[in-house]
Amino acid sequence: MQTEEFTPKIIAFMCNWCAYGAADLAGVSRMQYPPNIRPVRVMCSATVSPHHILRAFQSGADGVLVGG
Amino acid sequence: MDRIDGEEGNFEVSVIQHPRYVDMDKCIACGLCAEKCPKKVPDEYDEGLVKRKAVYVQYDQAVPLKYAIDAEHCIYLTKGKCRACEKFCPADAINFNDAAKKIAVNVGAVIVAPGGETYDPGTSDTFEYKKYPNIVTSIEFERILSASGPFGGHLVRPLDKKEPKKIAWVQCVGSRDENHCGNGYCSSVCCTYAVKEAMLAKEHSGGDLDTAIFYIDIRTNGKDFEQYYNRAKDEFNVRFIKSKIISAPLVKETGKHLISYVSESGKRINEEFDMVVLSVGLKATKESAELAQKIGIDLDKYGYAVTHSFEPVCTSKPGIYVCGAFQAPKDIPSSVIDASAAAGMAASKLSKARWSMTKTKDIPKEQDVRGQSPRIGVFVCCCGTNIAGVVDVPAVVEYAKGLPGVVYVEQNMFSCSQDTQDKIAQSIKEQRLNRAVVAACTPKTHEPLFQETLINAGINKYLFEMANIRNQCSWVHKDAPELATQKAMDMVEMAVAKAKLLEPLSDPVFEVKHAALVIGGGVAGMEAAKNLAEQGFHSYLVEKTDSLGGQARHLFQTWRGEPIQKYVSGLIETVSANKNIDIFFNASVKEVEGFVGNFKTTISHNSGQNSGQNSGQTEKTSTLEHGVTIIAAGAAEFESKQYLYGKDPRVLTGLDLQQRLTDNDSGLTRLNSAVFVQCVGSRIPERPYCSKLCCTQSITSALALKTRKPEMDVFVLYRDMRPYGLREDVYRKARVAGVVFIRFNPENEFTVETDDAGLLCVTFTDSVLSHQMRINPDLLVLASAVVPEKENPLAQMYKIPQSADGFFMEAHVKLQPVDCATSGVFICGLAHAPKPVDESITQAHAAAARAATVLAMENIKGEGIISRIDPRFCSGCLGCINVCPYGAISFDSEKKVVEVNPALCKGCGACAAACPSEAPILMGFTNHQLYAQINSALTA
Repeated sequence: MQTEEFTPKIIAFMCNWCAYGAADLAGVSRMQYPPNIRPVRVMCSATVSPHHILRAFQSGADGVLVGG
Repeated sequence: MDRIDGEEGNFEVSVIQHPRYVDMDKCIACGLCAEKCPKKVPDEYDEGLVKRKAVYVQYDQAVPLKYAIDAEHCIYLTKGKCRACEKFCPADAINFNDAAKKIAVNVGAVIVAPGGETYDPGTSDTFEYKKYPNIVTSIEFERILSASGPFGGHLVRPLDKKEPKKIAWVQCVGSRDENHCGNGYCSSVCCTYAVKEAMLAKEHSGGDLDTAIFYIDIRTNGKDFEQYYNRAKDEFNVRFIKSKIISAPLVKETGKHLISYVSESGKRINEEFDMVVLSVGLKATKESAELAQKIGIDLDKYGYAVTHSFEPVCTSKPGIYVCGAFQAPKDIPSSVIDASAAAGMAASKLSKARWSMTKTKDIPKEQDVRGQSPRIGVFVCCCGTNIAGVVDVPAVVEYAKGLPGVVYVEQNMFSCSQDTQDKIAQSIKEQRLNRAVVAACTPKTHEPLFQETLINAGINKYLFEMANIRNQCSWVHKDAPELATQKAMDMVEMAVAKAKLLEPLSDPVFEVKHAALVIGGGVAGMEAAKNLAEQGFHSYLVEKTDSLGGQARHLFQTWRGEPIQKYVSGLIETVSANKNIDIFFNASVKEVEGFVGNFKTTISHNSGQNSGQNSGQTEKTSTLEHGVTIIAAGAAEFESKQYLYGKDPRVLTGLDLQQRLTDNDSGLTRLNSAVFVQCVGSRIPERPYCSKLCCTQSITSALALKTRKPEMDVFVLYRDMRPYGLREDVYRKARVAGVVFIRFNPENEFTVETDDAGLLCVTFTDSVLSHQMRINPDLLVLASAVVPEKENPLAQMYKIPQSADGFFMEAHVKLQPVDCATSGVFICGLAHAPKPVDESITQAHAAAARAATVLAMENIKGEGIISRIDPRFCSGCLGCINVCPYGAISFDSEKKVVEVNPALCKGCGACAAACPSEAPILMGFTNHQLYAQINSALTA
């Protein structure tokens, strides 16, 4: 039986004022990380509700990151 | 600055702009020039611990993020050959023909802020700092700790990159030291930064690191710094050892550095450390001395700009103001407060010129796109090779063409260049686009630019979305181009999905009431009102007692010897006579409503407006409308219930003695001895903060006694003497004058009694001798704490939090030191933290300057990205009110639904997440838009 390597699909909710800026700085500093993350900019991590997280899982996400 | 002519109100200034050799409009900060540049130069930002190139940006977060060529090291500019950067720059931004430009400006005021530098311990190298790499300065250590530093934030020794097990900090290197460097002053910042570095080092190394700070006095006198120091001692087990260290020789066998000191118990101890950090002090620079000479302002013996305690940001020359570390050694919060104060002072002289040079921009009429089906344009940026070098941009373009709602796709080399901006605006018009998506860099830096382009094309700026395919894609996935391309496609799809659902938004506009309410008629309140009056704004000055002046009415002299009463009475006169200031006595705030620009405060008082005196009439109520509020509510002196205070007339507080000195009480010259006790009511468990001003006040009082009667025996019993900054001079002067300073141990018994003969009897334990001592003074002065009003009703009414100690909290300690968390409310004076009179004045001018930024506006423009409540879904559960950090939501008891005040909402969206029925909608980030993004991210 063949198995494929598991690459999780991750949705990242990132606060505009901190985590999103940090992700930008990671770019400026040319830090490297795996490309299987999809960023969603939000104005504050407080705006991320269980609804959003559940919707992400329902839509097929394997992981959800809330950065704030 | 090249030269300056003219006088206050009309200076002609000639400025030389040195060549950068990089065209800032063209540079896209891709970094290719630095990659190709063959010349390596020690990186000043990393304290020379690593190298940079001759073409460089100073540091990653530099604003603007544009490269520059260091002409001193560039091979082409020094030897005439190379030009590698020019060859490889994809944006054609290198310009070797760049030359120095002379710029002439005509200004009414000048603010000098050249800063300072740290002391170079290599100057008189008692530590052999130059020889041993494991002896570092505190600034080098900061870089070692930093994630963007030379070792990626991994705490290692520079010499062998091994993790240190023991680190020593040596305080006062280049400070409080007249012998080696002539810097007789205290640098003010080093104690707190050493505490911080030791704590951070412990966090970095995971606990088994041993840290020791060798000090003369720990001077953590800034706001909340004492509590920080206590945490370092009690929770982080940082060792604090009182000992002046002057060398740390290398021990050859171990490769460590030896520090010898005498312990508290009098034993000589030899300890070896893996690393030694020299806590270097601050100093004025040679360049600032040259600048001062050109401008014609006076410097003190240390090279700092001469200022006066009552005009702390004014230099010796009218119209020229100073802020920051060129005024005296100081930390970031003080420098930021200085900066606002200098701006406030300048503004008070230039109010006539306000708006006189403003230009208004012509904005095309906005098209109404509501009801139209989406016509989305996607603009994909190559950013030279920054995106296109990793992501297959043509493939992304093709992909975008197939997305629903997209009618037009364009590929651009540099989307942010002016010609592309014009082209995008053109395409929006030609293709009748009603939504735009730019796939390029980050909205954090470029959203405003593209929104401007939309506005120029007649489209609402909120009909715009960015896909960050550079910072969050090509730059971070450069080894996986295929997956990066896939991610870029998804990101464009997500942006398009959101753009489809975007609605035009308008920024709410609020009228501003052009008056300020200043609460507190002490020095801080009066100075704030005076500054605003000079700027042309009306103030209501509310004082709770029947007279102006506050605590300053008891003060004798500043540490510089300036008489305070003369100043205070002058200030009261000016403020009372100013038509722009209405004063209310015996007044208190009863009710507050409204928000920035539109406050309505009801006060009760018993004096007529602007009467300037207590008329003793019956209580009245007035409702004042004002755009801003300045809290200058002050604080009181602690009244000790111990040490016979109030029972024996020979026991006074610090302020009592200042009052007697002011009154020129002849009884003082009859005394033969006096004892001052420091930290009465401060730095104790129930009041852990340092009251900051008492050390210097006791020194000035002690000196005043000595001046009156040189043969008097004067003792100061202290824990740490904290005459910070230039105040160290007066401490030295007091010692020379014969005032005896004795460090006592607060852990041991400290008593004040009267003996059988009626003599005062002060008993304490001398820390150095570890012996119980007794003095029989004629006068005992309790240097008592500064105590704010805890649970001040103003906190509730203006929604501004107080710290556990009862001081009002600023919005941000460093970035907004005089702003409160509630917009339009500012703070100054003792209500903010204990501080001497000069710092209260500076802070008052800073608060006035910040307040004027609101008062100078006809209208305030709010943000479009705020919450709205869909009343159809609101069940009135009040869940959102509880989570709103800004108090922006209120309950309409008639309609039984909540409402958002657009002036208070900051658009965080916490309400939207808390609501079980999704009634709040965060405009621009609605649930539908977020769901669309989530779905499209996961369809591939």
